Amino acid sequence: MGVTPIRPGQLAGVPLGRRAATPIIEIDHVSQVFKTSSRRDHIALSDISLTVGEGAFVSILGPSGCGKSTLLYIVGGFVSPTSGIAKMKGKPITGPGTDRGPVFQEFALFPWKSVLGNVMYGPLQQGMKASKAEALARTLLAMVGLTGFEKFYPKELSGGMKQRVALARTLAYGPEVLLMDEPFGALDAHTRTRLQNDLLDIWERDRKTVLFVTHSVEEAVFLSDKVVMMSRSPGRIREVIDIDLPRPRRREELLLDPNYQRYIVEIERMFDASGDNELPS
Amino acid sequence: MNGMLKPLAPVLACCGLLLAWQLASLGLKNDSFPTALESLRAIPPILTDKESLINILASLRRMAVGFSLALAFSIPLGLLMGRSRATAAFFNPLLMLIYPVPKAALMPIIMLWLGVGDVSKTLVIFLGVSLPVIYHSFEGAKAVEEKMLWSGAAMGLSPSERLLRIVLPAALPEILTGCRTGLVLALITMVTSEMIARQSGAGNILFNALDMGQYDTVFAMIIIVGAMGICLDAAFEIVRRWLVRWSEPQFDMPLSFS
Repeated sequence: MGVTPIRPGQLAGVPLGRRAATPIIEIDHVSQVFKTSSRRDHIALSDISLTVGEGAFVSILGPSGCGKSTLLYIVGGFVSPTSGIAKMKGKPITGPGTDRGPVFQEFALFPWKSVLGNVMYGPLQQGMKASKAEALARTLLAMVGLTGFEKFYPKELSGGMKQRVALARTLAYGPEVLLMDEPFGALDAHTRTRLQNDLLDIWERDRKTVLFVTHSVEEAVFLSDKVVMMSRSPGRIREVIDIDLPRPRRREELLLDPNYQRYIVEIERMFDASGDNELPS
Repeated sequence: MNGMLKPLAPVLACCGLLLAWQLASLGLKNDSFPTALESLRAIPPILTDKESLINILASLRRMAVGFSLALAFSIPLGLLMGRSRATAAFFNPLLMLIYPVPKAALMPIIMLWLGVGDVSKTLVIFLGVSLPVIYHSFEGAKAVEEKMLWSGAAMGLSPSERLLRIVLPAALPEILTGCRTGLVLALITMVTSEMIARQSGAGNILFNALDMGQYDTVFAMIIIVGAMGICLDAAFEIVRRWLVRWSEPQFDMPLSFS
């Protein structure tokens, strides 16, 4: 297959999603200003507009301090924007909800619950019968490769395993959108690669909408249909890039695909040109 | 220390202490300083005397009531303070004011208002236990990871459910550290209150014996009260460890007997 040039970046606000599907998340002129005790206020996000189509895997890529996590928290309903509005399926987001499932870099597992207890927590909260919740949790744990660890406490697991539990715990209550906040950022390179592979395998099964925050160009290109490039001070969208690579993706194949390499080089070049060159590659 | 010796260390320390006491007492030959053996021999009569047992049990009952009431009040308050700035802003100055006041110093006023009975003594124990428990619950609740609460919120937990089902268990290691301090303080305030309001209890036996010059009984009571403290603390430590068996080792107490 030939090397196709990257299309000039689409403007923000244009519907995203490979099949131009119905929008599931709409971010409309969102700004976030944090009051600081001294000097001027910190503008974390400046006039962000973005639409995410149903079933799309969209990455938000940017240097640290560009407000990409804040944007995710706004969609999650954990943080209210200073101005503008975020909508989920047309309804304004006013707080957290089971339709949007977060997965954090810090895992945020409940340490007093066993692995099984963590994954069952959401379904039980939704009123599912314990026997059914347990069966569901066991299925999900098998899917993330943790069969045999059901009775373990989080403290007994490695970072990669904790993140697998966190993913299973979030999937268990059936959110329509996964909000992943640098989920593999705290893991070593090898574990990170394995979790990326497994995440794609899991995603291929039901193609849930994913909003994925990362500062790794390779990770964004490898996983996503769309990469939203952000710049900082103030945080704004500078480019939205379609990643037109075949799915299902396999790392061994992609690494030999010149298009994959080209996306990475082009994106890195764009960040370099803007002076936002603090992306670890 | 080698593995065989470690569990014996407290026993050895005990024996060493008793031996030093015995020798010091024999050397000094003072009436008000009975030997360790004489004091130990005075213990069985106390523990078989119905009157004394009733007194000691009454002490323990007041201590249990005061301690339980203090936990029931202080843990929710501390957790609320840790999660709500307004609550913390309101209670913090009050607690800072009460904190350095020795609770036993309030005893005369409390006795004046509430008499010398159970209510006064239980109240002093309650006050003594409350502050460390509030403080540790507050610190524990404050330190709960925000993302953990967000995860709960995304699962549909309401703010009050989050406080009960996330903040409380997440802060439990810290809360129990406060409770352990509180337990020792309960014992201290219990004995002190009985020395001031002399009507019943272990502290009362001790002071009555002192008045009558029964020094072996005085020392026997000190041993009994001390042993009660050590046993209660050790028992609490077993419960604590079981309750927080899931927690990271950094929450382990530096002081423990095992």
